[in-house]
Amino acid sequence: MDALARIPQLLVYGIVSGSILSLGGIGVSLTYRILGFSNFAHGDTMALGAYLTLALLPVAARLGIPGGALSPLSFGWDFAASLLLAIAATSLAIALLDRLFFRRLRNANRVTLMISTIGIALALRNLLQFIWGPQPHYYSTAIQRAVLIPRLGIRIKPDQIFIVAIAVALALLLHLFLRYTKMGKAMRATSDNTSLARVTGIDTERVILWTWVIGASLAAIAGVLTGLENKFITPELGWQMLLSIFAAVILGGIGNPYGAIVGGLVVGISEEVSTAFISTGYKPAVAFAILILMLLIRPTGLLGRRR
Amino acid sequence: MSLLTIERVVSGYADMEVLHGVDLAVDVGEIVTIIGPNGAGKSTLMKTIFGLLKPKAGRITFDDTDITGRSPDRVVRRGLAYVPQVENVFPSLTIQENLEMGAFILRGNLRDRLRRVYELFPVLGVRQKARVGKMSGGERQMVAMGRALMLDPRLLMLDEPSAALAPNLTATIFDRIAAINEAGVTILIVEQNAKESLKLSDRGCVFAAGLKCFEDSGPALLANEDIGRLYLGG
Repeated sequence: MDALARIPQLLVYGIVSGSILSLGGIGVSLTYRILGFSNFAHGDTMALGAYLTLALLPVAARLGIPGGALSPLSFGWDFAASLLLAIAATSLAIALLDRLFFRRLRNANRVTLMISTIGIALALRNLLQFIWGPQPHYYSTAIQRAVLIPRLGIRIKPDQIFIVAIAVALALLLHLFLRYTKMGKAMRATSDNTSLARVTGIDTERVILWTWVIGASLAAIAGVLTGLENKFITPELGWQMLLSIFAAVILGGIGNPYGAIVGGLVVGISEEVSTAFISTGYKPAVAFAILILMLLIRPTGLLGRRR
Repeated sequence: MSLLTIERVVSGYADMEVLHGVDLAVDVGEIVTIIGPNGAGKSTLMKTIFGLLKPKAGRITFDDTDITGRSPDRVVRRGLAYVPQVENVFPSLTIQENLEMGAFILRGNLRDRLRRVYELFPVLGVRQKARVGKMSGGERQMVAMGRALMLDPRLLMLDEPSAALAPNLTATIFDRIAAINEAGVTILIVEQNAKESLKLSDRGCVFAAGLKCFEDSGPALLANEDIGRLYLGG
């Protein structure tokens, strides 16, 4: 088929994968802004959430939550419930990691912190592989038919509509949280100036905890949505997306959660649309190119503030 | 009665001692101004009182409670408020949000407290929803002071409140400081250009080289020729 004719369909794929990148990027951006370092373990936090959702499915069933797919979606209430449990479990795990490791390093320099996140990343990924093995696991083996939207000539699966809807809803929720709640305002204040926040009486340790919990929750959801879109999960799931996520975050302006959303969509769409012209194998190269271009032209990002 | 007492405090940074045993007492209801050249340790003293720097020796008591080396969030709860010299506002927050953050440790309705700050600084009241980042130095200083007042502090510490302000704004700021003091708040000010500040002050202390070397009433310091020549620009 003509490359240009494929673009509308690729845009759909791009918006779907961009939504997932956005959710992953928000966490990276928030941690960078409030804790001051790049968290390379974020991708593996996504994988942790994806595996915990799988592991907690039997728990959801035992709680009496009905299984069976909610047609036309490929999953049912039990899956939704186990996702909620997995969000809580992932947040708890990440909060615990903060207590055990990062809290001791609050005053360490950025490089030390960044390298320690790489260590955590490796440990998490290998733990997942140790427990579940390197082979893929499937959320559902049923085949879902894409719906044809006649006038636009595009096909989209109900699960993909769900992915985009969830991402939009969560972005809106995050916006309302940051704008109108006391803790949201305290997070913005702390990211503006941590030492002034302490002098003001803001409990910065609580702000940090909230930052981890929000980042981990969105990461868990992003991991599960990746599993829904790909149909399978592997321990490498998040790590493989990390480059795209960082490209998205830097494109939008690192430290700005809204920028992460915009950046995620741009990177997702660019990666997918590029496949009309170049081999699919070059998708990561597209993210890399965006990353490098942005660092050269406008290192503060699209929505970033100048220092 | 002494509200804040500083005894033989030695403090500074990891590899540099700045304060070499400072004594100072601030009584309830007073305005006290610390003057002295750059590098004399004025800001270091403020940071040490507020727990941003841990003293190497000495004792700081506030209202008969030992607060030596307490963390800032605990000092705030005791009724001290501190306005740093620079970066003393949250630029991406609105005026109202900055003030709300000042009362972070409180629960419940802030309406009365906000109203009082807006009465003190009417300029802020008309622009409640405006972001502070783009405001002038004078407006930022008002936001910073308003933020510090949200908790009804017993002692307000101001680090160079008139630094980099136009002369007419300096007058406004000092007028407001006098009003805050009349409302019952004890005030400790650090100033480099201290004429305006000393006019208001009950007492002034001269700092040099990390030691307090002279103390007198505000007007007396202003009248002192040596002090004038050395520290107040003639």
